[in-house]
Amino acid sequence: MKLAITLIGAVALAQDWTSYGNNSLGWRYSELDQINTKNVARLTPQWMYQTNVPGKNETTPLVFDGMMYVTGPSNNAWALDAMTGRPIWSYKKALPANVSLCCGQVNRGFAVHGHTLFKVDLQGTLVALDAKSGTVLWESTLEDYKKGYSATAAPLVVKNLVITGMAGAEYGTRGFIDAYDVDTGKRVWRVYTVAEESWSGDSWKRGGGSTWITGTYDPSLNMIYWGTGNPGPDMDGEGRRGDNLYTCSLLAIDADTGKIKWHFQFTPHDLHDWDAIGDPVLTDLVINGRTVKAVIQANRNGFFYALDRTNGKVLLSKAYTRITWADGIDSDGRPVAIAGQEPTEEGKRTCPGMGGGHNWQATAYSPLTGLYYFTSAERCMLFYKTKQEFVEGQWYQGSTIGRDEPGNGRIDAIDPKTGKLAWYFETVSSPTGGVLATAGGLVFAGDAEGYLIALDARTGKAVWRFQTGGTIIAPPVSYALNGRQYIAVAAGQTMITFSLPKF
Amino acid sequence: MRRAIVFFIAAVCYAQGPAETGRWTFRILCAPCHGIRADGGRGPDLTLGTFSAGDSDADLIRVISRGVPGTEMAGYSGRVTDDEIRSLVAYIRSAGHADKAAIRGDAATGENIFWNKGGCGQCHRVGTKGSTIGPDLTRVGRQRSIAYLNASLLKPDADVTPGYATVTVVTRDGKKIVGVERNFDNFSAQFVDLSGKYYSFVVEEVISMKREPRSLMPSTYGQLLSETEVNDLLAYLNSLRGGR
Repeated sequence: MKLAITLIGAVALAQDWTSYGNNSLGWRYSELDQINTKNVARLTPQWMYQTNVPGKNETTPLVFDGMMYVTGPSNNAWALDAMTGRPIWSYKKALPANVSLCCGQVNRGFAVHGHTLFKVDLQGTLVALDAKSGTVLWESTLEDYKKGYSATAAPLVVKNLVITGMAGAEYGTRGFIDAYDVDTGKRVWRVYTVAEESWSGDSWKRGGGSTWITGTYDPSLNMIYWGTGNPGPDMDGEGRRGDNLYTCSLLAIDADTGKIKWHFQFTPHDLHDWDAIGDPVLTDLVINGRTVKAVIQANRNGFFYALDRTNGKVLLSKAYTRITWADGIDSDGRPVAIAGQEPTEEGKRTCPGMGGGHNWQATAYSPLTGLYYFTSAERCMLFYKTKQEFVEGQWYQGSTIGRDEPGNGRIDAIDPKTGKLAWYFETVSSPTGGVLATAGGLVFAGDAEGYLIALDARTGKAVWRFQTGGTIIAPPVSYALNGRQYIAVAAGQTMITFSLPKF
Repeated sequence: MRRAIVFFIAAVCYAQGPAETGRWTFRILCAPCHGIRADGGRGPDLTLGTFSAGDSDADLIRVISRGVPGTEMAGYSGRVTDDEIRSLVAYIRSAGHADKAAIRGDAATGENIFWNKGGCGQCHRVGTKGSTIGPDLTRVGRQRSIAYLNASLLKPDADVTPGYATVTVVTRDGKKIVGVERNFDNFSAQFVDLSGKYYSFVVEEVISMKREPRSLMPSTYGQLLSETEVNDLLAYLNSLRGGR
């Protein structure tokens, strides 16, 4: 398997964790196997670092050169000694009072190139820091936060470019993906995720399509894959008739020029806030005896998709949760919509709910098992439509917020060649955290009640757990230091690491 | 984008008069708690013509602007303009049917039923009296509409207060223990049975554990109590406004 990984390329040293998805293909898989199904029961905490910063912690920490680099809520970041958890330097960027954020003052992590770290700040800026000292090397503004733009995702480094998305589709913004020069911070290209066609009138100008989860990169095709969010206003489509390209889509982008090579729209003219921002995971699948370069995603609209990543053609699709809005996906990849599922003034109940089947939480792919792991929810919601006038920089959802019905969650393992469920682990609450797969035959995931859980990657059986004391929203990572493998995760306001006892 | 937690709300300016303007603002801002028709849900019913924190327009403007400390009601000044707050008040007034007739019973009789025939105090608390197995009702007249209380009394399973679901554990020796949830997660269950006894189990120690969205409150009050007694009890519950 290691050979296959090397052939595809762009994989970090196995000891470290150096990007959002650990490799540019978005696998979130660790080749380390010191912690495995046989000894995981002995996994114990090694250190904790309490950030004392309230808010939701969604970070994927990076680990290299003996340091752990952690981003936190409210424009905070820390460099911690990876062996002891002691803080070495910290970073904080003041937050203007009137930044528009739909979903909390969150951040999902750093990217790195050489010894330069990159992160976005909430007011829509991208900053480069010296990894040794935390010194700011340069800072670039993506777009004016006063117009509703913000940023939360971990950037993606591709060659000498740092690629970043934005947030703000609930504020009448126009989504984009930007590439900046790693050395200078100068913008090299921008691709808008909202086309001028397929929108009535000038509604594209405030069409949303934000890009708030990190994309992936295939070096062999030199293509970046990045998911796009909902059109705006979310639940009132009357003023934006048409398919609303390229919202709720996956874009394949030429890494050098920023040109869109192909697009695939999962939910044309979305009215349910079903962003297509789940990790686009790149893997080669053998389907009907033919090896296909594929990209897979458990979409928020309730369907799992495998696409040919060279051309965007759908290979297979399959529902993984309860769906009442479509009768399946046709051979062109377009949903066979069921009539009368649009949000109404009085409320229309549709499944899945606004949070979808699988939302943004990080997913994992294990070359060891060939399975794709993600969290999902099975629940429905009353969707309301409410007319709302656009005011620049202001909330623009065209709805009231209904409550998702209470529902259980699951950690799912799907065979991406068939879309069939291999196993699931049922959880008492809707999922909050992401997942990690390891060569030790394990899948790690955190839950809403604060447990970090290890599952057998082949069977889904829970083989270890630890109560961290804080809701886990972030995905776990794994790294090795001085011959010991660690598992690390942000829980509540704390970063915690685990390893096997030394003695 | 993800489900919004915080609202920063746009101006909604439809020229149909302040109440109609307020209706659209209300849908976006207030409906999640107060209901799409302002008749309450998890937040108080605003159609009764009487309000938790004062009945005058000035009281309503104050509450919308500054919120109510110690409750889930947030302040909205800074997010909406003064004009919009006035239009919200206009809408709330127009939505209200001031249906005093909805409270048909006698609160004093209802209080007697609560503590005696109804046996409500065996599980519920009012002020310093009663038990803590079920939700505390000290402020329930501010928190729930008459219609909601009526539904909860006659069909307790209709909308179980979060955190008060029914937990059932079967122990290794085959004993079935049922109680009201205190915590329930993927690996453990903590609950209180109807005698007030507290239990805590981890999943490996038991045959099974489950949580169901139903209430352990008897569903027989419709038979136990006459319609008059139900109305008396509702009048008493509606009179529970906290304090003292």
